[in-house]
Amino acid sequence: MKHRKKAISLIVMGTSAVALVVGCSANTTQSTGQGNASSGTASVKVNSTGSSHVVNYKNASGTIVWAESFTTGNLANELVKAFEKKYPKIKVKLQVQPSDTDTNRATLTTAISGGSSTPDVYMGDVIWPAQFANSQLAAPLSDYLPKSFWNRFSNGLVSGATYNGKVYAAPLFADTAFLYYRKDLLAKYHLPVPKTWEQVKSEAAQIQKAGGARYGFVWQGADYEGLTCDFDEYLADAGGQVLKNGKADLTSPAANKALSFMRSLITSGVTPKTVDTFQESQSENVFTQGNAVFLRNWSYAWSDSQTPSTSKVVGKVGVTALPTFAGHGSSGYSTVGGWDLYVNPHTKDLPAALQFLDWMTGTQAQSILAENSEMPTNKTVADSKSLAKYSPVFALLPKVKFVSRPSQTPEYPSVSKAIYDNVNEALAGSISVSKALSLANQQIDNAQSSGGL
Amino acid sequence: MGTGAPESPNVLVRSRGASHLQRTDKRAGLSLLTPAGIVILAVTIFPIVYSVIMSFNNIQITQNGFRFQFNGLQNYKQVYSAPLFWHSVWFTVYYSIITVAVELFLGLLIALAIQNVERLKSVSIVIMLIPWALITVISAQMWSYIYNGVYGVLNAILQQLHLIHAPVNWLGQPTTAVISLMIADIWKTTPFVVIILVSGLQMIPKDYYEAARIDGANSWQSFWSVTFPQLRGSIALAGLFRILQAFGIFDLPFVLTQGGPGTATTSIAMLGEETLFTNLHFGLGAAVAVSTVILILGACLIFLSAFRGMVGEEAQ
Repeated sequence: MKHRKKAISLIVMGTSAVALVVGCSANTTQSTGQGNASSGTASVKVNSTGSSHVVNYKNASGTIVWAESFTTGNLANELVKAFEKKYPKIKVKLQVQPSDTDTNRATLTTAISGGSSTPDVYMGDVIWPAQFANSQLAAPLSDYLPKSFWNRFSNGLVSGATYNGKVYAAPLFADTAFLYYRKDLLAKYHLPVPKTWEQVKSEAAQIQKAGGARYGFVWQGADYEGLTCDFDEYLADAGGQVLKNGKADLTSPAANKALSFMRSLITSGVTPKTVDTFQESQSENVFTQGNAVFLRNWSYAWSDSQTPSTSKVVGKVGVTALPTFAGHGSSGYSTVGGWDLYVNPHTKDLPAALQFLDWMTGTQAQSILAENSEMPTNKTVADSKSLAKYSPVFALLPKVKFVSRPSQTPEYPSVSKAIYDNVNEALAGSISVSKALSLANQQIDNAQSSGGL
Repeated sequence: MGTGAPESPNVLVRSRGASHLQRTDKRAGLSLLTPAGIVILAVTIFPIVYSVIMSFNNIQITQNGFRFQFNGLQNYKQVYSAPLFWHSVWFTVYYSIITVAVELFLGLLIALAIQNVERLKSVSIVIMLIPWALITVISAQMWSYIYNGVYGVLNAILQQLHLIHAPVNWLGQPTTAVISLMIADIWKTTPFVVIILVSGLQMIPKDYYEAARIDGANSWQSFWSVTFPQLRGSIALAGLFRILQAFGIFDLPFVLTQGGPGTATTSIAMLGEETLFTNLHFGLGAAVAVSTVILILGACLIFLSAFRGMVGEEAQ
């Protein structure tokens, strides 16, 4: 009896608290609005009216914080040292971000949506501009920088950072995927470097059967963004697309062909079943330990495969553009990846931040990036003949056809999740290819119309 | 209390015009409680109320912070119409029920076993504390090496023993992924149950067992009529703590499966985190969070009333 009374009083307390809150919420709406408006005029000097005005940053000075998320150790330090030498009036403090992209985003959104003025400049994924612009987590750079600023970048990169006609990020380095192969094994079994996906599958099976390697072809099939990248490539190769006139288009025959092929790689034994738990590092591990013939991975896998301390296949690896399906051209599509520089809209030193952006996308910084095997976004550096000496993947770039993820919508995370969740389930074999695609199709349209879960 | 009495009552008496010593004593008490009250208000009540408010609003992040737009039950409607929400509720509920039940059962067995081995008790408790003391993210990473489908330890052992012929893709298939998570969870939190139950066992007076023996009870009977009724408080406590934790399951699937394959191991906490911090839908995310709180509250009440009813009948 006593306990029941307690429980009842608990419930009553709970409901009255809720009622109280519901009653109050109309008022709180107003008061928070007012509070924000007043704090806005006091602290935010960026974009007070929404009109554009070019900022002169030639004499910028002060200290800015740069949130960096390079995976290679000392690169950020090297860049900052070179920058501070050139611009001694500006000091750059480094803030090292989590390497997991989603965790990184969570820390940035927490800080910036909370009104923090640091980091002043941060590195962000190329698929973030729409979402970050929509939530005002990134400053509209095209308002503050002259039009001519954007001419320095390679074609197509700036449009990827544009949302509703404004540019929200400066491309820092690009990335894309390649096919890595064991040239020693191909030579041993007298096989050519594959140009089609069908060839990849049959050559891998042949080498596996002869005992040349345990697995044929490894890639990224886990339940995460990377799987959307892999799937988009097969989809583009088959002639399909994720969105057609803004609507999901995954019930097409091309989408079916793409996913059926991915699944068949697993059922035929060319790809290990566990690929549905592989992210980049797991797939790369299998390859660098000498257990697979082919690997789909980003450009950094080249230097990883040539590092004797971690790789057993140094000197045995070749790299080429991704293949395509037979009858669909000479080479396949590669997903555009990479990282941009964004500016915090609450920054207290916009000129210094812009000066830093200017230098980081200029020839000196971009050459340093290239020396560290990051693909430069600055056209002058990217097109220079000397680039190929840093990494053989740079020499392949003219051959690569690019496919962008449908990240022009602020709902992109949900759109991508609709793809990788269902594709992952189909790879695991728990739902059929056509069921996975129709579910993905439906969830993409839902996400776009209502901004769902 | 006493030292502050000469000064503070005077101030209070003058300002308020009150003259009863009792009332000023009460005031002094309240004022001494205020700092603690403010802290509790700031770190517990405020966030809860704030997320309830958020869940009734459409929230846009703007340059000047959050912009609230009251939209009534719209967020809840959208959350409750999403199949993924119900899927994650279902996963969280059955995952919690199974793991907590197994943990309570195993925990009780181990606690009873330890209780009877007087010499090794402290050593075994220390050993068992290791899994519980390890940070989950780290032990989950360890489990991912064990479960790994290519070079995993578990596959290697099972293949050596000829129990399986080909490596099993533990985390890549829905059923095995769920079971793998449960095993890792049970491994980690059973020691917590054991500790609570061992301390509960030590509180039972030895005389009771002696009396039971004199009455001719065998060990099974003395367990049911002495140990279990005396231990029910500790079991309820352990169960309650575990249910609270289990319903918030996040770190294990976050590291081991990212909620996959597909959405098979997406818990309600993961869904909330994703809605909030990946999709940046703060109103929807708050609605998920508030629903979670109600769900946990309900689960705890059901557990307590069920457990008390059962034990009550047994005891009488």
